[in-house]
Amino acid sequence: MASASDSKWQKDAADQNFDYMFKLLIIGNSSVGKTSFLFRYADDSFTSAFVSTVGIDFKVKTVFRQDKRVKLQIWDTAGQERYRTITTAYYRGAMGFILMYDVTNEESFNAVQDWCTQIKTYSWDNAQVVLVGNKCDLEDERVVSAERGKQLADQLGLEFFETSAKENINVKAVFERLVDIICDKMSESLDSDPTLVSNTTKATRLTENPNMQSNSCAC
Amino acid sequence: MGEFGSSGSLDRWVCPNDRQLALRAKLGTGWSVHTNRLASFQRGENLSLEEQEQIMRVINRAEYIDHVEQERIGRLVEKLDNMKKNAIGNGSTQCILCGDEFGLLGASPTYCDDCKKAVCSKCGVDTFSSARQPLWLCKICAETREVWKRSGAWFFKGLPKYTLPEKKLEGGKHSTRMKPQLRGSVRGRPGSIRDSNYTWHRARGSSSTGTASYGESSEQESSDSSEDEISISRHKSRKNHESESDNISIGSARSSHYDHYTRTERKASVTSTSYGGGHVSATESSRGDDLHDETDSERSSTYQFSRDGSHMSQEHFTPAVGEEHAEDIDRAVNRYVKSTKPANDECDEAQVSSPESDGTSLGSLEFSLLYDSANNALHCTIARAKNLKAMDSNGLSDPYVKLHLLPGANKSTKLRTKTIHKTLNPEWNESLTYYGITEDDVLKKTLRLSVLDEDAFGFDFIGETRVPLKRLKPHQTKHFNVHLEKQLPLEKDDDLIAIRGKILLSLKYATAKQSLLVRIIRCAELAAMDSNGYSDPYVKVYLKPDKDKKSKFKTTVKKRTLNPEYNEEFTYDIKHNELAKKTLEITVWDKDIGKANDFIGVTRSH
Repeated sequence: MASASDSKWQKDAADQNFDYMFKLLIIGNSSVGKTSFLFRYADDSFTSAFVSTVGIDFKVKTVFRQDKRVKLQIWDTAGQERYRTITTAYYRGAMGFILMYDVTNEESFNAVQDWCTQIKTYSWDNAQVVLVGNKCDLEDERVVSAERGKQLADQLGLEFFETSAKENINVKAVFERLVDIICDKMSESLDSDPTLVSNTTKATRLTENPNMQSNSCAC
Repeated sequence: MGEFGSSGSLDRWVCPNDRQLALRAKLGTGWSVHTNRLASFQRGENLSLEEQEQIMRVINRAEYIDHVEQERIGRLVEKLDNMKKNAIGNGSTQCILCGDEFGLLGASPTYCDDCKKAVCSKCGVDTFSSARQPLWLCKICAETREVWKRSGAWFFKGLPKYTLPEKKLEGGKHSTRMKPQLRGSVRGRPGSIRDSNYTWHRARGSSSTGTASYGESSEQESSDSSEDEISISRHKSRKNHESESDNISIGSARSSHYDHYTRTERKASVTSTSYGGGHVSATESSRGDDLHDETDSERSSTYQFSRDGSHMSQEHFTPAVGEEHAEDIDRAVNRYVKSTKPANDECDEAQVSSPESDGTSLGSLEFSLLYDSANNALHCTIARAKNLKAMDSNGLSDPYVKLHLLPGANKSTKLRTKTIHKTLNPEWNESLTYYGITEDDVLKKTLRLSVLDEDAFGFDFIGETRVPLKRLKPHQTKHFNVHLEKQLPLEKDDDLIAIRGKILLSLKYATAKQSLLVRIIRCAELAAMDSNGYSDPYVKVYLKPDKDKKSKFKTTVKKRTLNPEYNEEFTYDIKHNELAKKTLEITVWDKDIGKANDFIGVTRSH
């Protein structure tokens, strides 16, 4: 199994048929469903068994958004405190964050503020964040209402979704929205500071070589 | 916690460090705390070996991705830099990119919104900012923005780490030898020739995969076929304007309310055929005049079916180009083609004999060709390739060779060898044969051999070479050992051109009967859609707009021919004043049994 999945991810990783590459990070308290969320999105699979993520993991998925192929490298982080040094090291490369809490777990919701601080501390300042309340299928056990989630998101200036990895509710929407936000941010940033663009790249000196550009944008 | 080096077994007899001492002081427990208990508490925080291994595996995977990504960015950066190196103008009196003097050839400068340099209309890109404001950028700045987006530099406020492609591909030496003539004699642009196939020609905003027809043709070995491509590219440039000007048809003054234009059908993944250039229409239409005397409101004209390449391949530097410019270039290139023709043969030999000159790192291909004019067969024996570029992560490739007759579009011109797995020096020793190749084809066509790397899904392009068939002597095997050239990925190239045949028809408005008579006379040089090298064509006519598709007329199907004669007439009852609102859509289809009919081409008039 290991070799099969190895070759699969190598395939994904080596796939050069994309326009942009975005790195995303899923964070939140332990057992809110980050890994399930990622598995649902990347593999369309779900298991209720809880296996704590060891440190970090990631999956690669290419999506087609706004006429562009976007390769997503989605990092799944361990929620447990003991891995914090490792996980925070990956904040810096992430363009987008999925900050997740569990609607059946008050504590995970209360920690959202702290996670936000973590993002502010370790990530690039223009990183985009989406707040996600997971496990919304468990209506009976819900302790955090959608309104409270929305309210907190507004307060923090984030977009908000309630999702269920188990029932596959809003999972895709979250990623797509995040990609869209990043895409928008991207064009904005280029327009707002074009001089930055031209000045910096002028410094690069290169050798002659044709570009083995594979089928980019065959849209 | 979390340090990889320490496996969690602290020496419990070591004197506590300052931090521990400070903590103990806070706890107020003095020295009575057991050091070993403290250590075991810490051990819980540390990662177990298995955990560390697991994390290392993830990190290794991530490193691999980063590595691939850095190479990708390196290529982007390099390409951009090549563009910059090849920019030869001064940006004030000349176009920053191509160096065209403003005011002399009718080129007028516009100023790039990013770098504020003067750009001619050919080298600029019309685009939009995020706020939907129109934006005019020179191709360098457009590409720069693109690189910033693609590399993630926009996010990190600077280019991330990247690795430049290591191998120095001397991609252009062979072809550059011909380019000085182009630049020098025709365009009056000496110098800065190297590698121009990878320069701003291709640098279209969003996709960077379009070919400039100019750059494309200059890479060619200027055979007949390249001439074809040039003349076609002019059509294309006009089509891109979607101008309704009389593109191919010969309009007579009397019927000036009929306006003709070809419509480009945007479909990717369909290969294309091209037949000759626009000049054909003149002969064709005069023939038409002979056939029809009742010329009062009647006109005969030739249409050329065209099916354009994908959306992308339209980006061939033309959309923003005024027609005069396009024609300037065509003329220039045509002149260039003529001026360099005598030199061709030497160039070919040179290509064979000088291994360093061309695409060293792509590898070389040995094959032989034999044209059997008695049986109209072209035998291609693919022997082997050497030192191919590795395309897979294991440092190897799974190469196969694909043959393709250019200009030629369809399934019938594609042949391929078997795939040899996991090698950079494959031995195929395979013979592939094209049947039904006429002497005429030999004069016109070019055989393209592409070496591709087969992947589980799709393929990677390794390199290609082209042989104009007229270099072959009948019944004489010619051996080749050539170095592969870098080219565009295959599909784009295939879709480049698209003249799919011609149709002769007559339109007559009979005032007395208040009806429009459409006569489909014949088609010529249609694209072959079936593997036997023929089509079974029929013509469908619609008068649009037409809600219920009542206006549909079909001709009979002519079997196994590319030059069907129909002479069938259809009548539409319609008032003369309504005619102006209607569009006549004429499509040619290939009748296939048991599957969807293949679309050959479309033309419209109204």
